[in-house]
Amino acid sequence: MTISRRNVLLGATASAALLPMAARAQTSDVVIGVIYPLSGASAQIGVDAQKSFETAAEIINKKYDFDLPLARGEGLPGLGGAKVRLVFADHQADPQKGRAEAERLITQEKVCAIIGTYQSAVAVTVSQICERYQIPFMSADNSSPSLHRRGLKFYFRPAPHDEMFSAAMFDFFDAMKKKGTKIETLALFHEDTIFGTDSGNAQLKLANERGYKVVADIKYRANSPSLSAEVQQIKAASADVLMPSSYTTDGILLVKTMAELGYKPNAIVAQDAGFSEKALYDAVGDKLEAVISRGSFSLDLAAKRPMVGTINAMFKEKSGKDLNDFSSRQFMALIVMSEAINRAKSVDGDKIREALVATDIPGAQTIMPWKRVKFDDMGQNNDADPVLLQYVGGKFVTIFPPQAAVAEAVWPMK
Amino acid sequence: MTAETIIQSLASGLLMGLLYGLIAVGLALIFGLMDVVNFAHGEFLMIAMYATFFLFAFFAIDPLLAAPLVAAALFVFGAVVYLLVVRFAVRAKANAGMVQIFSTFGLAIVMRGLAQFFFTPDYRSVTHSWLGGKTISIGGIFLPVPQLFGALVSIAAFGALYFFINRTDFGRALEATREDAGAVALVGIDKNRVFALGWGLGAALVGLAGAIMAMFFYIYPDVGASFALVAYVTVALGGFGSVFGAFAGGIIVGLVEATTALMLPPSLKSVGIYAVYLLVVFVRPRGLFGSI
Repeated sequence: MTISRRNVLLGATASAALLPMAARAQTSDVVIGVIYPLSGASAQIGVDAQKSFETAAEIINKKYDFDLPLARGEGLPGLGGAKVRLVFADHQADPQKGRAEAERLITQEKVCAIIGTYQSAVAVTVSQICERYQIPFMSADNSSPSLHRRGLKFYFRPAPHDEMFSAAMFDFFDAMKKKGTKIETLALFHEDTIFGTDSGNAQLKLANERGYKVVADIKYRANSPSLSAEVQQIKAASADVLMPSSYTTDGILLVKTMAELGYKPNAIVAQDAGFSEKALYDAVGDKLEAVISRGSFSLDLAAKRPMVGTINAMFKEKSGKDLNDFSSRQFMALIVMSEAINRAKSVDGDKIREALVATDIPGAQTIMPWKRVKFDDMGQNNDADPVLLQYVGGKFVTIFPPQAAVAEAVWPMK
Repeated sequence: MTAETIIQSLASGLLMGLLYGLIAVGLALIFGLMDVVNFAHGEFLMIAMYATFFLFAFFAIDPLLAAPLVAAALFVFGAVVYLLVVRFAVRAKANAGMVQIFSTFGLAIVMRGLAQFFFTPDYRSVTHSWLGGKTISIGGIFLPVPQLFGALVSIAAFGALYFFINRTDFGRALEATREDAGAVALVGIDKNRVFALGWGLGAALVGLAGAIMAMFFYIYPDVGASFALVAYVTVALGGFGSVFGAFAGGIIVGLVEATTALMLPPSLKSVGIYAVYLLVVFVRPRGLFGSI
């Protein structure tokens, strides 16, 4: 075979074209899949989540003076300064779409880890796929307690789950009772997917253990066109505390229907979800003065930890909203995941998993009121202390636990 | 269970049912006219609710005043949808039914997507309106004013529609076109014009429903989905194509829903509706008042 001039030229061009590719491969991006409802009934959550993850990625990829893992350098130093790149996928709140999208992220987009999903029902299928491909999955904001108890090796949750949240509510009830407040009867009102069901079960169990009487336990169909029959039943029960576990749509309809049917509960202690959303307070906030919701985040932490305020401002610039219970947990999930990938010095699923198991981030290096981030052998962070927030004069203040509280609880509601 | 609980349930069910009827009647009308099921019906409702919301948010127009404007706008919208989409879909020679289903279904997805793009997926509400949030209490039975008003509008709309179809020339043209579209062409009635007006009328009715709904319901791009499902079963129950059937179907759906929620766990309340529907299919497959 003779080598003609043309062949040499071709070869040279080809290698010239390939060179930058090879160079890029060395410090290639770390690709993380982020799977949220970007369309459908809860699209608002997904669209806000996108902004929150982008804020976290910006802090990781650029230099910021925050006492937060990876903020002070550019990219991941453990991987030669590689940048974190996010690939977003839309699960439309459908567990089956979640399964398919997770598979696509892993096989087509070659992500090294997945974070999601808002709806716990979708986290079930997405985490199963991740387990099969041995890719770490992190629940940023799923709160069903059953999720980490399925014996999955690649499942991690830095935030609290509903039993921890519900326990905080009952600790609060106990404390209020000691002060002489009458709290004897409870009305549970929860939607019928895994979130509402798990939350309702956890609350029912705690109520029985601690001697509270559940006078109504209403499970309703999510996104119902009408809730008047349901509201009538909780009205008839007339409990000391109404405990809703509802997403935004049903939360708005619940509050409106309560007003229409002339029901003014003595107190509402909500399981987050819709009751952390600005949209709900925009719609019916005037009827919710002194509503209490559990949460894992409160903006009043900014007084103690100024970076919380700065990061909130960064997020607000992108989304037009303040960080809330969801966006804060989403933000932290990417930080925690990236911190582990950095220590793993690899994008291999097993190595990242090992690094996650060894994670130990002090609470002061987060934007949350948590003690620290450290996973137990089921992948749950038990040091993520929940807080109870009360909606007073148009904003949330922390009222429980005492070490985080900035104000006394207003009880009963006005 | 007290008598008060039962009466309250029935009252709430009846109010909601009349509204379901108003939402569904446009669907029944269009189906009766040209045998096309509009799968974008829920999205028509969504557009009407957004229109009401924006009139309120930007021009401080109360939903009560907005209702006729929204109905008029939806009339135009419905006619345009017919002229631009449905007119071509019904021309299909093979698989005509499928083409119609997918074209209106596709329209629904496009409308939802555009709504999410332009209006964002945020949940909106009309926060203050003349009727919103007000409620009347009669002997311990609470009747929310917006729903009460909606029920009255629904009854009035059905009355007007009945008069319109049976007593006006256009109504007769509508009936004639529905019976035999080929024959009416021979007597000089423009089929396309009648169909376009039929779509406009159907859309205007759902527009009216949307403006009323905006007073007490949250608004977001997918809001039509849960109501559309109720509208389909309402029409199927009442009888395809029958305007009076939609009225009766709506009331039945509302009452059955309310009574099921009294007897079964509320998460199963739609089971009652579909059980009744299956029963109707069993004895009268064309629906209670179906004429086809």
